[in-house]
Amino acid sequence: MSRVARIYGLTGLLLCLSAWMALAPVSGQPAPQQITTDTPQYCLVLLDRVSELVRGLAAPPPQEITNLSTDGQRMCEQGQTRGGIMRLREALVMLRTQARQR
Amino acid sequence: MVYAVLLALSAAALALFLWWATAGLLDRQTEAAIRSDAQGLSERWADGGLPALVLTIDDRLAGNVDDDAIYFLADPGMRRVAGNLERWPSSVRQSNAWYELPVRRAGITSLALVQRYDLPNGFHLLIGRDVRVRAQLRTLLTDALLWALVIVVAMATAGALVVRSLFKRTLANVSATATAIAAGDFAQRVKLSGRGDEFDQLAETINDMLDRIGRLMDGVRQVSNAIAHDLRTPITRARTRLEDAALHARDADALRAAIERATADLDGIVSVFQALLRISEIEAGSRRSAFARLDVAPLLADIAELYGVVAEEKGVTLAVESPDHLPAYGDRDLIQQAVTNLVDNAVKFTPSGGTVRLRAQTVPSGLEIGVIDQGPGIPDADKSRATERFFRGEAARNTPGAGMGLALVQAVAQLHGGALRLEDAHPGLMAVLALPAPEERQST
Repeated sequence: MSRVARIYGLTGLLLCLSAWMALAPVSGQPAPQQITTDTPQYCLVLLDRVSELVRGLAAPPPQEITNLSTDGQRMCEQGQTRGGIMRLREALVMLRTQARQR
Repeated sequence: MVYAVLLALSAAALALFLWWATAGLLDRQTEAAIRSDAQGLSERWADGGLPALVLTIDDRLAGNVDDDAIYFLADPGMRRVAGNLERWPSSVRQSNAWYELPVRRAGITSLALVQRYDLPNGFHLLIGRDVRVRAQLRTLLTDALLWALVIVVAMATAGALVVRSLFKRTLANVSATATAIAAGDFAQRVKLSGRGDEFDQLAETINDMLDRIGRLMDGVRQVSNAIAHDLRTPITRARTRLEDAALHARDADALRAAIERATADLDGIVSVFQALLRISEIEAGSRRSAFARLDVAPLLADIAELYGVVAEEKGVTLAVESPDHLPAYGDRDLIQQAVTNLVDNAVKFTPSGGTVRLRAQTVPSGLEIGVIDQGPGIPDADKSRATERFFRGEAARNTPGAGMGLALVQAVAQLHGGALRLEDAHPGLMAVLALPAPEERQST
């Protein structure tokens, strides 16, 4: 291989390596922080908020909200915390929207 | 190699742009969401102070359906007031700077992009977003683009080496031929690979060019030899006459007669040079500016009238067959000169009692002027050389002339985009001057 070809090959390799190093994730990160809003305790917090909003309604909430709230509570009890929290959050958002509309 | 480097750099620039437009866009969207969040919380702090801010953070966490929001409100002692982190991350020290923070969500380690905001009264706020899914997508895109870049660089390198090798081989072939020709071996030609590719086409073009140069050099050499040979005789004759007169002339009349004969010899030489110059001028194409539409029929009539007398003196009949009008496009003087040369040759070579026919007609391709004599004709072997300068066939050795007539006719024909054909007339020769139609010539 000629000198020019070697120089060119080396340049290409360095280019790729430098791009890789620039874009690769940096190692040596600190220990991960625990998120506290995906715990069973937070399930209870959300359930309280949902119940509080339902109590404040003049009429019974729509069936969809009731279903979401019930599903969320059941999933939290069965250990599917994130799924349960997600449903409770959706129910909460819908309740807030309904409360604002009134 | 330069082009290969440019190709690789272009590919790198394209990959960078694609990364910026995809993975970069996701990052920018996250940053914009965090800034917008910070703006809203800052307004809440300004409106209702700490209680309002705590309530807003709790509300936002409760309604975070995407499950990606991260908040941490700390008091002056960096203790938790609100939010969904256990404690203030020690690595986040500066405000208005972006940090990538590892977080653990339901047992799964994830990555969050966070920023710190310092509030009045020594409070600190941390806002972030979980970017695990976006980070995965970014990693996927980055890997794909980097692999594409590596492949492009590898292919560019391989392609550059192949093309370079190909060029090197071809140029070495051309260079070797050029060196051999420069050293005097004009028979050398560029070797063809037989693949029929562009390099073979180039080699064929170069070889054609060398053949053409060779023919031109042969022509120049031949003309030089012919000039040296054909002009030596009249010059020697003139010199001998003058020398003889100087030594042996008995009176002034004999001396004057010798000088006149020598002058006639020298006039012949001058006329040969004039003919050569005229042919060169025609071949150079400088006469094209004098081209115009013309009728050849009157020209032929003039020539017939002029040469009718000469032919009659020699006992030859000159017969003319021509329509009333023969439209053409060209140089009137040159066409007249060419036809005159053909008729002059025909009269010269036709024996007494014979007939010379001057026949003109329009044909689909243009116009043909034929001159048919009853002379000895030109052998087939000599026909291709008959239009060369100074060429004189065996039958013409004993007739006056310098071998310029047909060369001039050929030059005139080529200048007009036509041709000169020499055919057997059984007996004699039929010389045909073919000229293209006026419309064709004018459009070219």
